[in-house]
Amino acid sequence: MTNMTDKSIIQARNIEKIYSNGCHALKNVSLDINRGEVVVIIGPSGSGKSTFLRTLNQLESISDGSIHIDEVSLTDRKTNINKVREEVGMVFQSFNLFPHKTALGNVVLSPMKVKKKARTVAEQEGRELLKKVGLAERMNNYPSHLSGGQQQRVAIARALAMHPKIMLFDEPTSALDPEMVGEVLDVMKSLASDGMTMVVVTHEMGFAREVADRVVFMEDGELVFEESPERFFSSDNPRLQRFLGQVL
Amino acid sequence: MEKQPHLLLWKAVFVLIMIGLGFGIYAGSKSIDYTWRWERIPQYIINTEATTVRSPFDGSATIEKGNKLVVTSDYGDDPLVIEKFDNLLVSNGDLVFEGDPLVEVENWNIGPLTWGLVMTLQLSVVSLVFAVVIGLFAGLARISTNPALRYLSVTYIELIRGTPLLVQIFIFYFFIGTVLDLDRFTAGVAALSVFTGAYIAEIVRSGIQSISPGQMEAARSLGMNYVQAMVNVILPQAFKRTLPPMAGQFINLIKDSSLVSVISITDLTKAGREVVSSTFAPFEVWFAVALMYLVLTGALSWAIQRLEKRLSASD
Ligand SMILES: Nc1ncnc2c1ncn2[C@@H]1O[C@H](COP(=O)(O)OP(=O)(O)OP(=O)(O)O)[C@@H](O)[C@H]1O
Ligand SMILES: [Mg+2]
Repeated sequence: MTNMTDKSIIQARNIEKIYSNGCHALKNVSLDINRGEVVVIIGPSGSGKSTFLRTLNQLESISDGSIHIDEVSLTDRKTNINKVREEVGMVFQSFNLFPHKTALGNVVLSPMKVKKKARTVAEQEGRELLKKVGLAERMNNYPSHLSGGQQQRVAIARALAMHPKIMLFDEPTSALDPEMVGEVLDVMKSLASDGMTMVVVTHEMGFAREVADRVVFMEDGELVFEESPERFFSSDNPRLQRFLGQVL
Repeated sequence: MEKQPHLLLWKAVFVLIMIGLGFGIYAGSKSIDYTWRWERIPQYIINTEATTVRSPFDGSATIEKGNKLVVTSDYGDDPLVIEKFDNLLVSNGDLVFEGDPLVEVENWNIGPLTWGLVMTLQLSVVSLVFAVVIGLFAGLARISTNPALRYLSVTYIELIRGTPLLVQIFIFYFFIGTVLDLDRFTAGVAALSVFTGAYIAEIVRSGIQSISPGQMEAARSLGMNYVQAMVNVILPQAFKRTLPPMAGQFINLIKDSSLVSVISITDLTKAGREVVSSTFAPFEVWFAVALMYLVLTGALSWAIQRLEKRLSASD
Protein backbone atom coordinates (compact mmCIF):
# COMPACT_ATOMS: atom_id res chain seq x y z
CA MET A 1 0.00 0.00 0.00
CA THR A 2 1.17 3.52 -0.69
CA ASN A 3 1.54 6.34 1.77
CA MET A 4 1.07 4.44 5.02
CA THR A 5 2.79 7.27 6.81
CA ASP A 6 1.71 9.24 9.85
CA LYS A 7 1.02 12.38 7.86
CA SER A 8 -2.19 10.73 6.62
CA ILE A 9 -5.26 12.71 7.59
CA ILE A 10 -7.50 9.69 7.00
CA GLN A 11 -6.38 6.25 8.08
CA ALA A 12 -8.86 3.49 7.37
CA ARG A 13 -7.57 0.04 8.32
CA ASN A 14 -9.11 -3.35 7.67
CA ILE A 15 -12.66 -2.11 7.56
CA GLU A 16 -15.47 -4.63 7.55
CA LYS A 17 -19.05 -3.58 7.13
CA ILE A 18 -21.90 -6.01 7.45
CA TYR A 19 -25.36 -4.45 7.28
CA SER A 20 -28.03 -5.67 9.66
CA ASN A 21 -29.62 -7.57 6.76
CA GLY A 22 -26.42 -9.58 6.41
CA CYS A 23 -25.10 -7.77 3.33
CA HIS A 24 -21.30 -7.80 3.49
CA ALA A 25 -20.66 -4.37 1.97
CA LEU A 26 -16.99 -3.79 2.87
CA LYS A 27 -14.36 -6.52 3.04
CA ASN A 28 -11.03 -5.68 4.65
CA VAL A 29 -10.79 -2.21 3.12
CA SER A 30 -7.72 -0.16 4.04
CA LEU A 31 -6.95 3.27 2.66
CA ASP A 32 -4.77 6.12 3.88
CA ILE A 33 -5.25 9.59 2.52
CA ASN A 34 -2.83 12.45 2.91
CA ARG A 35 -3.56 16.03 3.71
CA GLY A 36 -4.43 17.91 0.53
CA GLU A 37 -4.80 14.76 -1.50
CA VAL A 38 -7.69 14.19 -3.93
CA VAL A 39 -8.75 10.56 -4.07
CA VAL A 40 -11.34 9.40 -6.56
CA ILE A 41 -13.19 6.14 -5.94
CA ILE A 42 -14.75 4.34 -8.86
CA GLY A 43 -16.40 0.97 -9.20
CA PRO A 44 -19.59 -0.74 -10.29
CA SER A 45 -22.93 -0.18 -8.62
CA GLY A 46 -23.22 -1.96 -5.28
CA SER A 47 -19.46 -2.29 -4.86
CA GLY A 48 -19.52 -0.43 -1.53
CA LYS A 49 -18.27 3.02 -2.60
CA SER A 50 -21.00 4.93 -0.79
CA THR A 51 -20.77 2.65 2.21
CA PHE A 52 -17.04 3.29 2.49
CA LEU A 53 -17.44 7.04 2.13
CA ARG A 54 -20.19 7.08 4.74
CA THR A 55 -18.07 5.20 7.26
CA LEU A 56 -15.57 8.07 7.10
CA ASN A 57 -17.99 10.41 8.87
CA GLN A 58 -19.79 7.60 10.68
CA LEU A 59 -23.08 7.93 8.87
CA GLU A 60 -22.47 4.18 8.82
CA SER A 61 -20.80 2.43 11.73
CA ILE A 62 -18.20 -0.19 10.91
CA SER A 63 -18.35 -3.82 11.98
CA ASP A 64 -14.60 -4.23 12.36
CA GLY A 65 -11.34 -2.39 11.70
CA SER A 66 -10.39 1.15 12.62
CA ILE A 67 -10.68 4.64 11.20
CA HIS A 68 -8.67 7.64 12.31
CA ILE A 69 -9.50 11.12 11.10
CA ASP A 70 -6.74 13.58 11.92
CA GLU A 71 -5.50 11.14 14.53
CA VAL A 72 -8.89 10.86 16.23
CA SER A 73 -10.24 7.32 16.38
CA LEU A 74 -13.82 7.01 15.20
CA THR A 75 -14.27 3.65 16.90
CA ASP A 76 -13.28 5.03 20.30
CA ARG A 77 -16.43 5.37 22.36
CA LYS A 78 -15.08 8.55 23.96
CA THR A 79 -14.82 10.33 20.61
CA ASN A 80 -17.46 13.01 20.09
CA ILE A 81 -18.61 12.15 16.60
CA ASN A 82 -20.27 15.54 16.13
CA LYS A 83 -16.89 17.24 16.53
CA VAL A 84 -15.37 14.93 13.93
CA ARG A 85 -18.24 15.64 11.54
CA GLU A 86 -17.56 19.36 11.80
CA GLU A 87 -14.19 18.59 10.23
CA VAL A 88 -15.56 16.31 7.52
CA GLY A 89 -17.94 17.89 5.04
CA MET A 90 -20.16 15.71 2.89
CA VAL A 91 -21.90 16.35 -0.41
CA PHE A 92 -24.67 13.97 -1.43
CA GLN A 93 -25.87 12.73 -4.78
CA SER A 94 -29.37 14.06 -4.04
CA PHE A 95 -28.12 17.41 -2.63
CA ASN A 96 -30.23 17.10 0.55
CA LEU A 97 -30.60 20.85 0.88
CA PHE A 98 -32.97 21.95 3.62
CA PRO A 99 -36.05 22.91 1.61
CA HIS A 100 -37.45 25.23 4.29
CA LYS A 101 -34.34 27.43 4.19
CA THR A 102 -33.03 29.76 1.51
CA ALA A 103 -29.65 29.13 -0.06
CA LEU A 104 -28.06 31.44 2.49
CA GLY A 105 -30.19 29.92 5.27
CA ASN A 106 -28.84 26.50 4.35
CA VAL A 107 -25.29 27.74 4.50
CA VAL A 108 -25.52 29.58 7.83
CA LEU A 109 -27.63 27.07 9.76
CA SER A 110 -24.90 24.82 11.05
CA PRO A 111 -22.32 27.55 11.78
CA MET A 112 -24.99 29.29 13.87
CA LYS A 113 -26.42 26.27 15.65
CA VAL A 114 -23.29 24.18 16.07
CA LYS A 115 -20.49 26.72 16.14
CA LYS A 116 -22.75 29.33 17.79
CA LYS A 117 -21.65 32.04 15.40
CA ALA A 118 -23.60 35.27 15.41
CA ARG A 119 -26.00 35.56 12.49
CA THR A 120 -24.24 38.58 11.03
CA VAL A 121 -20.86 36.83 11.06
CA ALA A 122 -22.29 33.60 9.65
CA GLU A 123 -24.15 35.46 6.92
CA GLN A 124 -21.08 37.46 5.99
CA GLU A 125 -19.12 34.21 5.57
CA GLY A 126 -22.07 32.54 3.89
CA ARG A 127 -22.32 35.26 1.27
CA GLU A 128 -18.60 34.94 0.56
CA LEU A 129 -18.94 31.18 0.09
CA LEU A 130 -21.98 31.48 -2.15
CA LYS A 131 -20.11 34.05 -4.21
CA LYS A 132 -17.23 31.62 -4.46
CA VAL A 133 -19.48 28.90 -5.91
CA GLY A 134 -21.01 31.45 -8.29
CA LEU A 135 -24.35 31.96 -6.60
CA ALA A 136 -24.09 35.57 -5.47
CA GLU A 137 -27.37 36.30 -7.24
CA ARG A 138 -29.29 33.38 -5.80
CA MET A 139 -28.68 33.66 -2.06
CA ASN A 140 -32.28 34.27 -1.11
CA ASN A 141 -33.77 31.60 -3.34
CA TYR A 142 -35.33 28.54 -1.80
CA PRO A 143 -33.92 25.23 -3.09
CA SER A 144 -37.14 24.60 -5.02
CA HIS A 145 -36.31 27.68 -7.07
CA LEU A 146 -32.79 26.55 -7.96
CA SER A 147 -31.59 24.24 -10.70
CA GLY A 148 -29.90 20.96 -9.79
CA GLY A 149 -26.45 22.34 -10.47
CA GLN A 150 -27.16 25.41 -8.38
CA GLN A 151 -28.51 23.28 -5.55
CA GLN A 152 -25.42 21.12 -5.54
CA ARG A 153 -23.20 24.20 -5.42
CA VAL A 154 -25.19 25.48 -2.45
CA ALA A 155 -24.67 22.08 -0.83
CA ILE A 156 -20.92 22.43 -1.34
CA ALA A 157 -20.96 25.94 0.12
CA ARG A 158 -23.01 24.65 3.06
CA ALA A 159 -20.41 21.98 3.80
CA LEU A 160 -17.55 24.47 3.42
CA ALA A 161 -19.17 26.84 5.89
CA MET A 162 -18.09 24.54 8.71
CA HIS A 163 -14.45 24.96 7.58
CA PRO A 164 -13.90 21.22 7.18
CA LYS A 165 -10.47 19.70 6.71
CA ILE A 166 -11.87 16.97 4.50
CA MET A 167 -14.65 16.95 1.91
CA LEU A 168 -16.47 13.76 0.93
CA PHE A 169 -18.41 13.69 -2.33
CA ASP A 170 -20.80 10.84 -3.10
CA GLU A 171 -21.57 10.97 -6.83
CA PRO A 172 -22.16 14.73 -6.70
CA THR A 173 -23.02 15.01 -10.39
CA SER A 174 -24.99 11.80 -10.95
CA ALA A 175 -28.38 13.42 -10.36
CA LEU A 176 -27.64 16.35 -12.65
CA ASP A 177 -28.64 17.05 -16.21
CA PRO A 178 -25.52 16.80 -18.39
CA GLU A 179 -25.32 20.54 -19.02
CA MET A 180 -25.01 21.20 -15.27
CA VAL A 181 -22.28 18.70 -14.53
CA GLY A 182 -19.54 21.09 -15.58
CA GLU A 183 -20.44 23.91 -13.19
CA VAL A 184 -20.27 21.55 -10.21
CA LEU A 185 -17.04 19.90 -11.33
CA ASP A 186 -15.51 23.37 -11.78
CA VAL A 187 -16.26 24.22 -8.17
CA MET A 188 -14.74 20.93 -7.08
CA LYS A 189 -11.65 21.54 -9.17
CA SER A 190 -11.09 24.95 -7.65
CA LEU A 191 -11.55 23.43 -4.22
CA ALA A 192 -8.90 20.83 -5.07
CA SER A 193 -6.49 23.47 -6.25
CA ASP A 194 -7.05 25.34 -2.94
CA GLY A 195 -5.54 22.27 -1.30
CA MET A 196 -8.64 20.66 0.17
CA THR A 197 -8.41 16.99 1.06
CA MET A 198 -11.13 15.33 -1.00
CA VAL A 199 -12.56 11.85 -1.37
CA VAL A 200 -14.79 11.69 -4.40
CA VAL A 201 -17.00 8.86 -5.58
CA THR A 202 -17.81 9.59 -9.20
CA HIS A 203 -18.31 8.19 -12.66
CA GLU A 204 -16.68 11.26 -14.20
CA MET A 205 -13.50 9.68 -15.56
CA GLY A 206 -12.40 13.04 -16.96
CA PHE A 207 -12.44 14.53 -13.47
CA ALA A 208 -10.50 11.55 -12.12
CA ARG A 209 -7.89 11.86 -14.83
CA GLU A 210 -7.53 15.61 -14.47
CA VAL A 211 -7.85 16.29 -10.74
CA ALA A 212 -7.17 13.10 -8.81
CA ASP A 213 -3.88 12.38 -7.11
CA ARG A 214 -4.96 8.79 -6.74
CA VAL A 215 -7.74 6.68 -8.18
CA VAL A 216 -9.19 3.74 -6.25
CA PHE A 217 -11.18 0.92 -7.79
CA MET A 218 -13.68 -1.00 -5.69
CA GLU A 219 -15.62 -4.12 -6.55
CA ASP A 220 -17.78 -6.43 -4.42
CA GLY A 221 -16.88 -4.60 -1.23
CA GLU A 222 -13.16 -4.92 -1.85
CA LEU A 223 -10.62 -2.27 -2.61
CA VAL A 224 -9.16 -3.91 -5.70
CA PHE A 225 -6.68 -1.43 -6.94
CA GLU A 226 -5.28 2.05 -6.34
CA GLU A 227 -2.90 4.05 -8.50
CA SER A 228 -2.05 7.50 -9.79
CA PRO A 229 -4.44 8.45 -12.63
CA GLU A 230 -1.89 7.92 -15.42
CA ARG A 231 -1.01 4.41 -14.30
CA PHE A 232 -4.59 3.69 -13.25
CA PHE A 233 -6.11 4.29 -16.65
CA SER A 234 -3.32 2.47 -18.45
CA SER A 235 -3.39 -0.50 -16.09
CA ASP A 236 -4.09 -3.97 -17.44
CA ASN A 237 -5.74 -5.24 -14.24
CA PRO A 238 -8.43 -7.53 -15.67
CA ARG A 239 -11.19 -6.57 -13.21
CA LEU A 240 -10.53 -2.89 -13.82
CA GLN A 241 -10.37 -3.46 -17.57
CA ARG A 242 -13.74 -5.18 -17.50
CA PHE A 243 -15.27 -2.24 -15.57
CA LEU A 244 -13.68 0.47 -17.69
CA GLY A 245 -14.83 -1.41 -20.78
CA GLN A 246 -18.38 -1.08 -19.52
CA VAL A 247 -18.38 2.61 -18.61
CA LEU A 248 -16.16 4.17 -21.25
CA MET B 1 -58.82 18.48 -13.37
CA GLU B 2 -61.25 18.82 -16.23
CA LYS B 3 -63.31 21.93 -16.28
CA GLN B 4 -66.90 21.32 -15.25
CA PRO B 5 -69.35 22.55 -17.90
CA HIS B 6 -72.48 24.46 -16.89
CA LEU B 7 -70.73 26.01 -13.89
CA LEU B 8 -73.48 28.51 -13.28
CA LEU B 9 -76.16 25.84 -13.46
CA TRP B 10 -74.52 23.73 -10.78
CA LYS B 11 -74.04 26.72 -8.52
CA ALA B 12 -77.73 27.40 -8.88
CA VAL B 13 -78.45 23.76 -7.99
CA PHE B 14 -76.39 24.18 -4.83
CA VAL B 15 -78.28 27.30 -3.81
CA LEU B 16 -81.60 25.57 -4.50
CA ILE B 17 -80.66 22.59 -2.36
CA MET B 18 -79.63 24.88 0.51
CA ILE B 19 -82.92 26.78 0.25
CA GLY B 20 -84.73 23.43 0.17
CA LEU B 21 -82.94 22.38 3.35
CA GLY B 22 -83.87 25.60 5.10
CA PHE B 23 -87.45 25.17 4.02
CA GLY B 24 -87.38 21.57 5.25
CA ILE B 25 -86.39 22.74 8.71
CA TYR B 26 -89.11 25.31 8.66
CA ALA B 27 -91.74 22.84 7.47
CA GLY B 28 -90.56 20.29 10.01
CA SER B 29 -91.01 22.69 12.87
CA LYS B 30 -94.40 23.73 11.49
CA SER B 31 -95.57 20.14 11.40
CA ILE B 32 -94.93 19.74 15.13
CA ASP B 33 -96.44 23.16 15.90
CA TYR B 34 -93.19 24.61 17.11
CA THR B 35 -93.17 28.31 17.78
CA TRP B 36 -89.80 29.84 17.25
CA ARG B 37 -88.77 32.23 19.97
CA TRP B 38 -85.44 33.50 18.79
CA GLU B 39 -85.90 36.65 20.86
CA ARG B 40 -85.27 34.59 23.98
CA ILE B 41 -81.77 33.62 22.93
CA PRO B 42 -79.72 36.87 22.91
CA GLN B 43 -80.16 37.48 26.63
CA TYR B 44 -78.32 34.21 27.29
CA ILE B 45 -75.41 35.41 25.24
CA ILE B 46 -75.26 38.99 26.50
CA ASN B 47 -77.91 40.71 28.52
CA THR B 48 -78.28 44.28 29.66
CA GLU B 49 -79.86 44.72 33.01
CA ALA B 50 -80.71 48.10 34.49
CA THR B 51 -79.75 48.72 38.08
CA THR B 52 -81.02 51.74 39.95
CA VAL B 53 -78.73 53.97 41.96
CA ARG B 54 -80.47 55.41 45.00
CA SER B 55 -79.61 58.42 47.08
CA PRO B 56 -77.74 57.57 50.27
CA PHE B 57 -78.92 60.71 52.11
CA ASP B 58 -81.37 63.59 52.02
CA GLY B 59 -80.23 66.51 49.87
CA SER B 60 -80.63 68.21 46.51
CA ALA B 61 -79.67 67.19 43.01
CA THR B 62 -77.86 69.40 40.52
CA ILE B 63 -77.02 68.49 36.98
CA GLU B 64 -73.77 70.03 35.90
CA LYS B 65 -72.46 70.49 32.40
CA GLY B 66 -71.40 67.34 30.60
CA ASN B 67 -74.23 65.34 32.16
CA LYS B 68 -72.86 65.03 35.64
CA LEU B 69 -75.23 64.48 38.52
CA VAL B 70 -74.19 65.91 41.88
CA VAL B 71 -76.23 65.30 45.00
CA THR B 72 -75.31 67.55 47.90
CA SER B 73 -76.23 66.41 51.37
CA ASP B 74 -78.28 68.39 53.84
CA TYR B 75 -76.18 67.11 56.68
CA GLY B 76 -72.69 67.82 55.47
CA ASP B 77 -71.85 64.38 54.00
CA ASP B 78 -69.48 64.31 51.03
CA PRO B 79 -71.45 65.08 47.87
CA LEU B 80 -72.34 62.14 45.62
CA VAL B 81 -71.10 62.52 42.05
CA ILE B 82 -72.37 60.22 39.28
CA GLU B 83 -70.76 60.71 35.89
CA LYS B 84 -71.99 57.73 33.92
CA PHE B 85 -75.60 56.62 33.70
CA ASP B 86 -78.13 55.61 31.10
CA ASN B 87 -81.39 57.07 32.45
CA LEU B 88 -81.73 60.13 34.62
CA LEU B 89 -84.64 59.89 37.09
CA VAL B 90 -84.35 63.34 38.74
CA SER B 91 -84.25 66.84 37.32
CA ASN B 92 -82.05 69.79 38.15
CA GLY B 93 -82.80 71.30 41.54
CA ASP B 94 -84.93 68.40 42.79
CA LEU B 95 -84.95 67.67 46.46
CA VAL B 96 -84.18 64.05 47.13
CA PHE B 97 -84.63 61.92 50.19
CA GLU B 98 -82.59 58.99 51.30
CA GLY B 99 -83.50 55.98 49.16
CA ASP B 100 -84.92 57.94 46.24
CA PRO B 101 -83.96 56.56 42.82
CA LEU B 102 -81.49 58.86 41.06
CA VAL B 103 -80.30 57.19 37.85
CA GLU B 104 -80.41 53.86 36.07
CA VAL B 105 -77.21 52.24 34.95
CA GLU B 106 -77.33 49.48 32.35
CA ASN B 107 -74.99 46.64 33.13
CA TRP B 108 -73.68 44.46 30.43
CA ASN B 109 -73.85 40.93 31.69
CA ILE B 110 -72.25 38.06 29.93
CA GLY B 111 -74.87 35.38 29.57
CA PRO B 112 -74.47 31.69 30.39
CA LEU B 113 -73.90 30.67 26.77
CA THR B 114 -70.99 33.07 26.46
CA TRP B 115 -69.57 31.79 29.74
CA GLY B 116 -69.92 28.30 28.29
CA LEU B 117 -68.10 29.42 25.16
CA VAL B 118 -65.30 30.89 27.27
CA MET B 119 -65.04 27.64 29.25
CA THR B 120 -64.94 25.60 26.04
CA LEU B 121 -62.24 27.92 24.70
CA GLN B 122 -60.21 27.62 27.90
CA LEU B 123 -60.55 23.85 27.96
CA SER B 124 -59.57 23.59 24.32
CA VAL B 125 -56.60 25.93 24.45
CA VAL B 126 -55.10 24.46 27.61
CA SER B 127 -55.70 20.89 26.40
CA LEU B 128 -54.27 21.75 23.01
CA VAL B 129 -51.00 22.98 24.49
CA PHE B 130 -50.61 19.86 26.61
CA ALA B 131 -51.76 17.59 23.78
CA VAL B 132 -49.14 19.01 21.43
CA VAL B 133 -46.39 18.53 24.02
CA ILE B 134 -47.53 14.99 24.84
CA GLY B 135 -48.00 14.18 21.16
CA LEU B 136 -44.60 15.51 20.20
CA PHE B 137 -42.79 13.44 22.80
CA ALA B 138 -44.89 10.33 22.23
CA GLY B 139 -44.37 10.69 18.47
CA LEU B 140 -40.60 11.02 18.89
CA ALA B 141 -40.56 8.09 21.34
CA ARG B 142 -42.56 6.07 18.81
CA ILE B 143 -39.70 6.27 16.28
CA SER B 144 -36.91 6.07 18.85
CA THR B 145 -34.37 3.29 18.60
CA ASN B 146 -34.75 2.72 22.34
CA PRO B 147 -37.24 -0.16 22.76
CA ALA B 148 -38.46 0.99 26.20
CA LEU B 149 -39.48 4.36 24.79
CA ARG B 150 -40.96 2.80 21.69
CA TYR B 151 -43.08 0.23 23.53
CA LEU B 152 -44.26 2.82 26.05
CA SER B 153 -45.37 5.05 23.24
CA VAL B 154 -47.10 2.25 21.33
CA THR B 155 -48.91 1.12 24.47
CA TYR B 156 -50.08 4.65 25.21
CA ILE B 157 -51.28 5.26 21.66
CA GLU B 158 -53.09 1.93 21.40
CA LEU B 159 -54.73 2.21 24.82
CA ILE B 160 -56.04 5.67 24.14
CA ARG B 161 -57.14 5.09 20.57
CA GLY B 162 -58.81 1.82 21.51
CA THR B 163 -61.14 3.23 24.15
CA PRO B 164 -63.92 5.82 23.93
CA LEU B 165 -63.17 9.35 25.09
CA LEU B 166 -66.27 9.37 27.26
CA VAL B 167 -64.99 6.36 29.20
CA GLN B 168 -61.56 8.00 29.51
CA ILE B 169 -63.16 11.14 30.92
CA PHE B 170 -64.96 9.07 33.54
CA ILE B 171 -61.75 7.24 34.41
CA PHE B 172 -59.82 10.50 34.68
CA TYR B 173 -62.48 12.11 36.81
CA PHE B 174 -63.59 9.31 39.07
CA PHE B 175 -60.40 7.29 39.38
CA ILE B 176 -57.32 9.38 38.64
CA GLY B 177 -59.09 12.53 39.76
CA THR B 178 -59.93 10.98 43.11
CA VAL B 179 -56.50 9.46 43.63
CA LEU B 180 -54.64 12.66 42.76
CA ASP B 181 -57.33 14.97 44.08
CA LEU B 182 -57.91 16.79 40.80
CA ASP B 183 -60.65 19.34 40.30
CA ARG B 184 -63.11 18.94 37.43
CA PHE B 185 -61.33 21.31 35.10
CA THR B 186 -57.94 19.66 35.59
CA ALA B 187 -59.43 16.20 35.15
CA GLY B 188 -61.20 17.37 32.00
CA VAL B 189 -58.08 18.95 30.57
CA ALA B 190 -56.03 15.87 31.44
CA ALA B 191 -58.48 13.55 29.71
CA LEU B 192 -58.72 15.74 26.62
CA SER B 193 -54.99 16.28 26.27
CA VAL B 194 -54.07 12.66 26.86
CA PHE B 195 -56.70 11.62 24.32
CA THR B 196 -55.72 14.16 21.67
CA GLY B 197 -52.01 13.60 22.38
CA ALA B 198 -52.29 10.02 21.16
CA TYR B 199 -53.63 11.15 17.80
CA ILE B 200 -51.10 13.95 17.54
CA ALA B 201 -48.34 11.43 18.29
CA GLU B 202 -49.34 9.45 15.21
CA ILE B 203 -49.47 12.62 13.11
CA VAL B 204 -46.02 13.64 14.39
CA ARG B 205 -44.64 10.16 13.70
CA SER B 206 -45.91 10.03 10.15
CA GLY B 207 -44.84 13.63 9.59
CA ILE B 208 -41.28 12.91 10.67
CA GLN B 209 -41.14 9.68 8.72
CA SER B 210 -42.29 11.47 5.60
CA ILE B 211 -39.13 13.60 5.65
CA SER B 212 -36.44 11.96 3.55
CA PRO B 213 -33.68 10.34 5.65
CA GLY B 214 -31.19 12.37 3.61
CA GLN B 215 -32.28 15.45 5.57
CA MET B 216 -31.21 13.91 8.86
CA GLU B 217 -27.97 12.67 7.27
CA ALA B 218 -27.18 16.09 5.84
CA ALA B 219 -27.83 17.74 9.20
CA ARG B 220 -25.75 15.20 11.10
CA SER B 221 -22.94 15.39 8.55
CA LEU B 222 -22.76 19.13 9.29
CA GLY B 223 -22.00 18.38 12.93
CA MET B 224 -25.47 18.83 14.39
CA ASN B 225 -26.42 16.42 17.13
CA TYR B 226 -29.72 14.52 17.04
CA VAL B 227 -31.67 17.17 18.94
CA GLN B 228 -30.27 20.06 16.88
CA ALA B 229 -31.07 18.23 13.66
CA MET B 230 -34.59 17.45 14.85
CA VAL B 231 -35.29 20.98 16.02
CA ASN B 232 -33.72 22.86 13.12
CA VAL B 233 -34.21 20.58 10.17
CA ILE B 234 -36.71 17.76 10.62
CA LEU B 235 -39.44 19.22 12.81
CA PRO B 236 -39.92 22.49 10.88
CA GLN B 237 -40.46 20.49 7.70
CA ALA B 238 -42.65 17.91 9.44
CA PHE B 239 -44.62 20.73 11.07
CA LYS B 240 -45.48 22.22 7.72
CA ARG B 241 -46.49 18.86 6.32
CA THR B 242 -48.63 17.94 9.31
CA LEU B 243 -50.53 21.20 9.49
CA PRO B 244 -53.62 19.93 7.66
CA PRO B 245 -54.09 16.78 9.78
CA MET B 246 -53.16 18.79 12.89
CA ALA B 247 -55.87 21.32 12.05
CA GLY B 248 -58.36 18.48 11.83
CA GLN B 249 -57.21 17.17 15.19
CA PHE B 250 -57.45 20.61 16.81
CA ILE B 251 -60.97 21.00 15.50
CA ASN B 252 -61.83 17.56 16.84
CA LEU B 253 -60.47 18.66 20.20
CA ILE B 254 -62.82 21.64 20.31
CA LYS B 255 -65.75 19.41 19.47
CA ASP B 256 -64.66 16.60 21.81
CA SER B 257 -64.45 19.08 24.65
CA SER B 258 -68.26 19.00 24.69
CA LEU B 259 -68.03 15.57 26.29
CA VAL B 260 -66.55 16.94 29.51
CA SER B 261 -69.98 18.34 30.30
CA VAL B 262 -70.67 14.87 31.72
CA ILE B 263 -68.42 15.66 34.66
CA SER B 264 -70.32 18.87 35.30
CA ILE B 265 -67.96 21.32 33.69
CA THR B 266 -70.14 24.15 32.44
CA ASP B 267 -68.84 24.32 28.92
CA LEU B 268 -70.83 25.48 25.95
CA THR B 269 -72.77 22.22 25.69
CA LYS B 270 -73.67 22.07 29.37
CA ALA B 271 -74.60 25.75 29.29
CA GLY B 272 -76.84 24.94 26.34
CA ARG B 273 -78.58 22.23 28.34
CA GLU B 274 -79.14 24.59 31.24
CA VAL B 275 -80.48 27.34 29.03
CA VAL B 276 -82.86 24.89 27.34
CA SER B 277 -84.35 23.99 30.69
CA SER B 278 -85.05 27.62 31.53
CA THR B 279 -86.20 28.85 28.10
CA PHE B 280 -88.08 25.83 26.76
CA ALA B 281 -86.69 26.82 23.39
CA PRO B 282 -84.50 23.78 22.64
CA PHE B 283 -84.30 24.23 18.87
CA GLU B 284 -83.13 27.81 19.04
CA VAL B 285 -80.66 27.09 21.82
CA TRP B 286 -79.06 24.12 20.09
CA PHE B 287 -78.86 25.98 16.81
CA ALA B 288 -77.22 28.88 18.63
CA VAL B 289 -74.82 26.52 20.39
CA ALA B 290 -73.93 24.85 17.09
CA LEU B 291 -73.28 28.26 15.58
CA MET B 292 -71.00 29.20 18.45
CA TYR B 293 -68.99 26.00 18.00
CA LEU B 294 -68.79 26.79 14.31
CA VAL B 295 -67.38 30.21 15.09
CA LEU B 296 -64.60 28.60 17.14
CA THR B 297 -63.74 25.88 14.67
CA GLY B 298 -64.09 28.23 11.71
CA ALA B 299 -61.72 30.75 13.26
CA LEU B 300 -59.23 27.98 13.92
CA SER B 301 -59.33 26.64 10.35
CA TRP B 302 -58.97 30.12 9.02
CA ALA B 303 -55.93 30.79 11.22
CA ILE B 304 -54.28 27.54 10.17
CA GLN B 305 -54.92 28.23 6.51
CA ARG B 306 -53.24 31.59 6.93
CA LEU B 307 -50.26 29.87 8.54
CA GLU B 308 -50.09 27.33 5.71
CA LYS B 309 -50.03 30.13 3.16
CA ARG B 310 -47.21 31.84 4.99
CA LEU B 311 -45.18 28.65 5.22
CA SER B 312 -45.62 27.86 1.55
CA ALA B 313 -43.05 30.53 0.65
CA SER B 314 -40.41 27.82 0.22
CA ASP B 315 -42.48 25.63 -2.15
N1 LIG C 1 -28.73 0.55 4.46
C1 LIG C 1 -28.39 -0.62 3.89
N2 LIG C 1 -28.86 -1.77 4.40
C2 LIG C 1 -28.51 -2.95 3.83
N3 LIG C 1 -27.72 -3.07 2.77
C3 LIG C 1 -27.24 -1.96 2.20
C4 LIG C 1 -27.54 -0.67 2.74
N4 LIG C 1 -26.91 0.25 1.99
C5 LIG C 1 -26.26 -0.41 1.03
N5 LIG C 1 -26.43 -1.75 1.16
C6 LIG C 1 -25.84 -2.78 0.31
O1 LIG C 1 -24.44 -2.68 0.44
C7 LIG C 1 -23.83 -2.88 -0.84
C8 LIG C 1 -22.97 -1.68 -1.17
O2 LIG C 1 -23.82 -0.55 -1.38
P1 LIG C 1 -23.28 0.89 -1.72
O3 LIG C 1 -24.44 1.79 -1.70
O4 LIG C 1 -22.16 1.21 -0.82
O5 LIG C 1 -22.74 0.70 -3.20
P2 LIG C 1 -22.24 1.81 -4.21
O6 LIG C 1 -20.92 1.34 -4.69
O7 LIG C 1 -22.31 3.16 -3.62
O8 LIG C 1 -23.28 1.68 -5.40
P3 LIG C 1 -23.89 2.83 -6.34
O9 LIG C 1 -22.89 3.10 -7.40
O10 LIG C 1 -25.13 2.19 -6.88
O11 LIG C 1 -24.19 4.00 -5.48
C9 LIG C 1 -24.94 -3.12 -1.83
O12 LIG C 1 -25.05 -4.49 -2.03
C10 LIG C 1 -26.15 -2.59 -1.14
O13 LIG C 1 -27.28 -3.34 -1.51
MG1 LIG D 1 -23.49 4.91 -3.96
